[in-house]
Amino acid sequence: MNSDRRAGPSDVLRPRNVGAPIKRTEDPRLLTGNGEYTADRKPDRPLHLAFLRSGQPHARIARIDTAAAQAAPGVSAVLTAEDIADDFKPVIPFSRMPSYYATPIVPLASGKVRYVGEAVVAVVATSRYLAEDALELIDVEYEPLGAISRAESAVVDDAPLLHEAAGTNVLIAREFKKGDVAADLKAAAVRVGGRFEMTRKAPLAMEPRSYTAEYDKRRDAITLYTSSNIPGIVRDAVSESLDLPGHRLRVVAPDVGGSFGSKGSLYPEELLICITARKLRRSVKWTADRLEDVSSSSQAFAEVVDAEMGFDKNGVATSLQADVIGDVGAYSIYPWTCGLEPVQVVSFLPGPYKIGSYRGAVRGVATCKPPTGPYRGVGRPIATFVAERLMDLGARALGIDPLEIRRRNLVRAEEFPYRIASGIIWDKTGFIECLEAAAEAAGYDQLRREQAEARNQGRLFGIGIASYAELTGIGSRIAVAPGMPINTGSETAKITIDSTGAITAAFGVASHGQGLETTLAQIVADDLGARFEDVRVIQGDSDEVPMSTGTYASRSAVLGGGAAKHAAKILQEKIQRVASHLLEANADDIEVTDGKAIVLGTDRMVTFKQIAKAVYSDMKTLPVDARDELSATYTYDPINGTTAAATHIAAVEIDPATCFVQILKFVVAEDCGRIINPMIVDGQVHGGVAQGIGAALLEELIYDEDGQLLTASLVDYVIPSAPEVPVMNVVHVESESAVTGGFRGMGEGGTIGAPAAIANAIADALSPLNIDISILPMTPERVFQLMEKAKPKSKGNADE
Amino acid sequence: MKPAKFDYVSPSTVEAAVEALVASNGEGKVLAGGQSLLPLLNFRMARPTILVDLNGIEGLSYIEDRGDRIAIGALTRHRELEHSPLIASKLPVMSAAMRHVAHLAIRNRGTIGGSLSHADPAAELPMLATFYDAKILVQGPSGRRTIGPEEFFVDALTNCLEPEEIVVEVEFPVLKQSGWAFEEVAHRFGDFALASIAVSVLHGPSGLEAAHVAVMGVADTPRRLKEAEQALVAMELDDRTPDRFSEVVVSQVSPNGDLHASADYRRHLLGQLAKRALQTALATKG
Ligand SMILES: Cc1cc2nc3c(=O)[nH]c(=O)nc-3n(C[C@H](O)[C@H](O)[C@H](O)COP(=O)(O)OP(=O)(O)OC[C@H]3O[C@@H](n4cnc5c(N)ncnc54)[C@H](O)[C@@H]3O)c2cc1C
Repeated sequence: MNSDRRAGPSDVLRPRNVGAPIKRTEDPRLLTGNGEYTADRKPDRPLHLAFLRSGQPHARIARIDTAAAQAAPGVSAVLTAEDIADDFKPVIPFSRMPSYYATPIVPLASGKVRYVGEAVVAVVATSRYLAEDALELIDVEYEPLGAISRAESAVVDDAPLLHEAAGTNVLIAREFKKGDVAADLKAAAVRVGGRFEMTRKAPLAMEPRSYTAEYDKRRDAITLYTSSNIPGIVRDAVSESLDLPGHRLRVVAPDVGGSFGSKGSLYPEELLICITARKLRRSVKWTADRLEDVSSSSQAFAEVVDAEMGFDKNGVATSLQADVIGDVGAYSIYPWTCGLEPVQVVSFLPGPYKIGSYRGAVRGVATCKPPTGPYRGVGRPIATFVAERLMDLGARALGIDPLEIRRRNLVRAEEFPYRIASGIIWDKTGFIECLEAAAEAAGYDQLRREQAEARNQGRLFGIGIASYAELTGIGSRIAVAPGMPINTGSETAKITIDSTGAITAAFGVASHGQGLETTLAQIVADDLGARFEDVRVIQGDSDEVPMSTGTYASRSAVLGGGAAKHAAKILQEKIQRVASHLLEANADDIEVTDGKAIVLGTDRMVTFKQIAKAVYSDMKTLPVDARDELSATYTYDPINGTTAAATHIAAVEIDPATCFVQILKFVVAEDCGRIINPMIVDGQVHGGVAQGIGAALLEELIYDEDGQLLTASLVDYVIPSAPEVPVMNVVHVESESAVTGGFRGMGEGGTIGAPAAIANAIADALSPLNIDISILPMTPERVFQLMEKAKPKSKGNADE
Repeated sequence: MKPAKFDYVSPSTVEAAVEALVASNGEGKVLAGGQSLLPLLNFRMARPTILVDLNGIEGLSYIEDRGDRIAIGALTRHRELEHSPLIASKLPVMSAAMRHVAHLAIRNRGTIGGSLSHADPAAELPMLATFYDAKILVQGPSGRRTIGPEEFFVDALTNCLEPEEIVVEVEFPVLKQSGWAFEEVAHRFGDFALASIAVSVLHGPSGLEAAHVAVMGVADTPRRLKEAEQALVAMELDDRTPDRFSEVVVSQVSPNGDLHASADYRRHLLGQLAKRALQTALATKG
């Protein structure tokens, strides 16, 4: 090597891959149809499952007659709860939370059904067609017990109980308190409040849930292929429930076509498919059709929040109180519990703001609907919607610009670390920086001028801001779900150079579309001194990777990335030690880069391949004590985790003729710490905002009073398509965090900020008509109804 | 979500297809583009014993200029209508409407015969047949007959065909018009319409001489609004005409509310679209 090299070892340390917009390694296979999803598995002569699902919201199962189905062509077995009673232990979504009742999870409804869509009978047949034919021959007699279709009606005194053993329909209740809210509200110069609601939503991954259980007769072993983002948790839970040790239960999450949370819990069907494979000693397949996926995968939001905020005369928020009622559906989910979504609403409600006193109470109430579960942003989309609406209401009441009121309330750079009123601690993050960057990128002042002009022409033009903060990469000090005993605080990386010199980096964190195969390889390549293209990342296979709880809660870049950096360093030191033997140089003088070990300032070097050969294959090259396997494992725990934050700004116009909301401009300024791959970060923001637009304007699961889902197909459940998603401007504020690598999680933020920003923009657009926005999605129908209601009033005002 | 068991035949003539339907004793179904039928099969909402596939029949796909009429073969795909220069020049309202029909992939397969037979109250082609007063030519065991749209569209998703009858051609009269407009609002581009209106006007020496008005999405079938047409022809043409027309149109419909839109909202939409449509139609005078 030439002397330039010698001059700057720091130049060598400068990351080459981290920070670069490297194209995703997984894309060529996924985009050319060469991905391998669970449904693509082709075990030998598999059997196929189909489920008879309840059409009743709440009923006692009086009798099930499966005789005709058993005799139908191609049918191997027809299973009811009774038939499998001895084959598993119920899974309990345990939590240490007080006032929590853990509903046991069983594969098929036992005794009674609690929502339309709950699996009651499973048919196993030689094809899915024959299995579905046989379903029609099953006769179930139900005795209706009364639907509980709304959370409000579930808590009245004489409401029927969904889980008698709980003694109440309130499955979880909690309260957070700080300071004297009542006094502060009383003393406030201005109090604003309202009843806010985000309706039920479907996470709706492109790939429906899918499971294949491959049975190995020789070992009475099962390999479960699952479209899961928590394969490690699934493995442990199934192992425990079926009493099947881990070496006879391999769980693999192969390519997974999105989750958004819907594949982030253990499902009854995962238990059932393993039970069936074991019982019949055959491989079994099942993929949800869209109807099943929409009506039986975990759902989101479904919360009503009564909230009030007090401000002093300068627009500083002094106090906040909220009562949240969450319609959590029929069961608590494993492992997160039914507290996950509603409790997060109250724990994140104060958001990035320095609100002095706080009271947040929450109840999670059982209703005859599928369970709610994790959904991109968990709790924070609605917390942000409520807090940001209140900020705007306060600004309006005080005559302060919405941008300015946020400046006055956000935690400022010098105030970190900051403990907000609900107890969460924000580490140093660019709250104000994001606000200012978003305002600049949006051309905020110019937008306000355009708005004034538009209003002069009678047009309904509005601007909305939403700032939020979230905890990402959470370490062991905090449970991701309240009171949950599972370790969500650490992740392990295992990096190995094999005898051919090839590098494999194994991670427990799974990938369901985030591009982790690419970003984790970028980190490993830099910290190991390898070439990016030489690093193969493997994930999601319990036989190949360290135990992990999976990918959720914006944790994988932080925890997986941190583990990668540490493991890579350890392995690099091993390489240096071997190379020092081979090159007869001091280990300290050896630099590892581009897949080679080089003696600094010389052209003496060995490749990883030569090093591997010396370690594994040659008899004499190395002394025995230097032939340590070229492998390093590191378990990383960021202890507290780190904050991520953003400000979203939306400009919308409402067409009074059609009542449609058009998004004219959308800006996101986000702080995800050090960026590993800007292209992937942009993609995550774009996708998250698209989902946020769905939540703000379109998507709603509508259940009628009888607990029937009225929007079970994609004709009726309306999601954004390309024309509904505007071009976005994404600005990155890269303030490095204190965790290893300086990363912050950023997988969920798009969905957290967008609904609130759009809601505020709509409210701003309609403010000349004195219309307030307190429910999402703001469908054209809702805009129409609000405008109709406002009509006589504005006429009345004009007459006065 | 798999269909129940069915047989399948692919005849090469309309006669053979009719025979197959006769042989099925009313249990058979014709398969055209499959875009509406296959979902029904998969949901097991339709359970034919046999599918009679029309796609192997030659000569059912054409757009033919017959001077004052345009004839369209039953198997003509939506996309061919969308891109046909003949349709654009002779049936401009149809040309404008076709891009609102579903999405590209569906337009590549969906057929005019299938769309009319499916009789969705919010589908464009049934509305266009009503607007133009098209003649629907059907063939059955006893030969051919011609049916007008008012008779053909019986109810939502219900046509007047006998189980053995097949639509073979639809003939659209070329309207004498000096201006026209097609307006539609759907949740998203390509969705079924929440409300839609087609208007054409023919200017005479003093005011309007003739008008065609049809709406959809506001009743169980598409509707031609003859009273609104007459009222429009009788109206003085001034700045207020579109508003007055809009009021007449709205007074002629009593839509039902559903998941996607309440009756009031549909009425509001239709009123707004009527106004816009007439403004456009009158503006192209000349
Ligand atoms: C997602 C989606 C969105 C859509 N959006 C729209 C939209 O916005 N507007 C719109 O107009 N349509 C829409 N459609 C429907 C589409 O236009 C269909 O193609 C059309 O309605 C049916 O045509 P087809 O040729 O596919 O008929 P098929 O599905 O093959 O048949 C439909 C019915 O008609 C019968 N049939 C077919 N051909 C004949 C014939 N020649 N004679 C007698 N009976 C016959 C069949 O037996 C069946 O009952 C949409 C479809 C989908 C899947």
